[in-house]
Amino acid sequence: MKELRDLARTLLADGAVKVVIGYEEGPRGVRPAFITRPEHAERLIFDARCTHCLPAYLSPRRTHVAALGKPAVVVKGCDARAVAGLIREAQLAREDVVVIGVRCGGVTGDPTVAELASGTVAPRCDACDAREPKLADHVVGPALPAPPASDQPDMLARLEGMSAAERWEFWQEAFSRCVRCNACRQACPMCFCERCVADKTQPAWIESSPHGRGNLAWHLTRAIHQAGRCVACGECQRACPADIPLGLLNKKLAHVVAERFGYRAGDDPAVPAPVGAFRLDDAQEFIR
Amino acid sequence: MTGARTITHDNLAALVADLAAAGTRVTAPARGADGKVDYRPIASLAEAALGAELPRRSLKEFFLPASEPLFSWRQEGAKVDLRAVPTEFPPHLVLGARPCDAAAVEILDHVMGWDYRDELWFGRRAATTIATLACPGVDGSCFCTATGRGPESTKGSDLMLYPIDGGYLVEVVTPKGDALVTAHAARFISASDASRPVSPDPGPRTPDPASLPMPAIAEWLARNFEHELWRDIALRCHGCGACASVCPTCHCFDIVDEPEGVTEGTRRRNWDTCQTGLFTLHASGHNPRRDQHARIRQRVTHKFSIYPAKFGEVLCTGCGRCARACPGGMDLPEILGRIAALAGAASGPEAAV
Amino acid sequence: MNLYQPYLMKIEAITDETPDTRTLKLAFEDPSVASEFDFRAGQFGEYSVFGSGECTFCIASSPTRKGGIECTFKAVGKATKAMRGLDVGDTMGFRGPYGNHFPLERMEKRSVVFIAGGIGLAPVRCVIWNVLDLRDRFADVTIVYGARSVSDLVYKRELEAWAERADVKLWQTVDPGGETPEWKHEIGFVPAIVEKAAPSAAGATAVVCGPPVMIKYTLPVLEKLGFAAGDVYTTLENRMKCGCGKCGRCNVGPVYVCKDGPVFSAAQLAELPAEY
Repeated sequence: MKELRDLARTLLADGAVKVVIGYEEGPRGVRPAFITRPEHAERLIFDARCTHCLPAYLSPRRTHVAALGKPAVVVKGCDARAVAGLIREAQLAREDVVVIGVRCGGVTGDPTVAELASGTVAPRCDACDAREPKLADHVVGPALPAPPASDQPDMLARLEGMSAAERWEFWQEAFSRCVRCNACRQACPMCFCERCVADKTQPAWIESSPHGRGNLAWHLTRAIHQAGRCVACGECQRACPADIPLGLLNKKLAHVVAERFGYRAGDDPAVPAPVGAFRLDDAQEFIR
Repeated sequence: MTGARTITHDNLAALVADLAAAGTRVTAPARGADGKVDYRPIASLAEAALGAELPRRSLKEFFLPASEPLFSWRQEGAKVDLRAVPTEFPPHLVLGARPCDAAAVEILDHVMGWDYRDELWFGRRAATTIATLACPGVDGSCFCTATGRGPESTKGSDLMLYPIDGGYLVEVVTPKGDALVTAHAARFISASDASRPVSPDPGPRTPDPASLPMPAIAEWLARNFEHELWRDIALRCHGCGACASVCPTCHCFDIVDEPEGVTEGTRRRNWDTCQTGLFTLHASGHNPRRDQHARIRQRVTHKFSIYPAKFGEVLCTGCGRCARACPGGMDLPEILGRIAALAGAASGPEAAV
Repeated sequence: MNLYQPYLMKIEAITDETPDTRTLKLAFEDPSVASEFDFRAGQFGEYSVFGSGECTFCIASSPTRKGGIECTFKAVGKATKAMRGLDVGDTMGFRGPYGNHFPLERMEKRSVVFIAGGIGLAPVRCVIWNVLDLRDRFADVTIVYGARSVSDLVYKRELEAWAERADVKLWQTVDPGGETPEWKHEIGFVPAIVEKAAPSAAGATAVVCGPPVMIKYTLPVLEKLGFAAGDVYTTLENRMKCGCGKCGRCNVGPVYVCKDGPVFSAAQLAELPAEY
């Protein structure tokens, strides 16, 4: 913790950055912090509750954050993929951000739950190979033991075992809870479009009404737009006030992208994503 | 109005069955397919989860649905026919509402009825009887007592239920509540001498109402449109509408046309929120609230200054859902505490941002 | 039927004011509505094309002219573009009238100064005809109207009619560079022409409507001429959906523009947060 705070204090005091985006203690567990003064660096913390994917605040959509000036951002190894994604898609220049990587021992997926156990560990920590952050200007913190394996049922496997009718029923029920608050989109580090397709009215590609048709169109469109882009941070699902298991859609598409394109949204911005690259050896069987 | 009565669990179950059989819709907190509690239709009391966790969403959707048709149209050449939607609704009982959710509905009657009467809102209001269950509190994000409500607040309720051994003590609050009890008198036991159970422990509720003095907060808000607080607290806000979607009193809506084919369609109203940039965007591209801090300011000011100035009550019942739902850790009681501290009216928790 | 269900209206006539601005003359389909419908100058409505949604603007005709209403609009958004596509005889929707109105009773026996820019003449035109149709109740009437160019002037036939009236002092202007060789009137921005026209503030009320920048520079001129902020009125155009104080969209500070407005005095505007 001291290493993190000292670094943040120095970066701010030297004027290397204007704001350090990290984690602090809030009224309900850990929350994002925006440290603009060296003396406030003491507020920074890092522990298993730090599930938020902070690079979301680097997207140019966050004009109120950008107005502060050059940021440093605290990332876990998995979050670094979001920084890489923003750079890969020309939303951020590498030199415009200082990346502070923290060594991670897994997170709980709930900012109010500190105890890391098989029942609380976030799904994305499963088989994590990014606990030592890459793409970072600074890496801080002690190396931590690997998190416990999750004992939560593998919902994706369960869904894949269902018939199409059962899956349809599962998603119909889940989407029926959606009121289109847009929390999934807003909290997503990779939903950076200046004008979302769901906000377009001429024509209205996606009906804005939270009814079966509109909700299905929205969630499937978003999932497909996130294919090869989603960094599996889980923020959409955590942000959803209706607890719709959106992560399952993203995970399924990540599997498809891995299978069809041999691609996984990683932490190297130089590796192009399938949505942004054309390869002669792309599987093209869908064009007939 | 009749005095207090009691009802046993068995008789309550029978009452729900009677009502359902007679065509009354019954809504109660109940677990859905994902195991979480929402207010949802029940066919029998066994489906209800009375006194379980706070339902994810408030009661408002039973009066202002997340999406509802306003009318539909059919075009034939230059001629258009409009088909109205009903403004009268079948009888409806909400069983086991939280006091904060019941109060919110009555608070919203003001805006839904000033000069222009929203028949869809009041049609549902007229059809609905709300039986509220005294509330044990949820957690430290509850601040109902600061908004003038509390565990036994009867505002918005037609009947109040207090858990007792083997059932509930039933208190009649309104004539509508009385009508329900009278119509099903056999299910109730007169208990005019029954003493009310001990008030629920205020328990997890926080903070002390005196730390969030609503008049001082309203006054500060009216004078501090430009204040560094707004830019400060807005930083972690994602600009999503999670807070508004779970809020029992946020009621802003959008009106959209949805064509179905070329000649027919439906005009609907859908929940909307002042937290998005699109909310105030003009067709010309001009946007009077371009930045997130202006939108946060709008939400807080509308609830705690504008609404009380217009209608005499704050547009908040302290349910704490917004703080629980926020992915960015925005916390309304904390924000109000900071405002109270700035107003110098109380020693609110001067939390750092 | 609920309050969000509009009246059906038939388009009786279409007038193209400029290449992108159009006036529709609308008649109520239901004769009982037609005979009962009444409104005050400055009130607005929600106009709709079924399938493209609603849009908000002031009623551009005068309440003294019965039998229907007129609206003047620019095709900018989804609904206005759809309105632009309608023909004479087509059916559209209208809800209203909503909002407050210009204080005509307060203006009686006083002089009235109308100042408008571009399509901002539409809401002002409603008051102008209201005043001219009751001409003997008012003292001097001055109109200052400007647009970017000659082709951007709306209600050209009415401008001619007002110019010919002895009981109206009309100043027409176009922005520098917007004039044609035939243009015989003023060249300059509206605030400058107001200063040149220098209407007397004594016992006078001003009605100002136009682009924000015009209003911004006109208000100080009026102040210099001696107009009290309480005697200068304008109308706000916040984004609205319901029009009747429910949907929350047009709320600015303590007011709902749709209910407490859209007509505000400059004194009231000065108290409002600049969120319009």
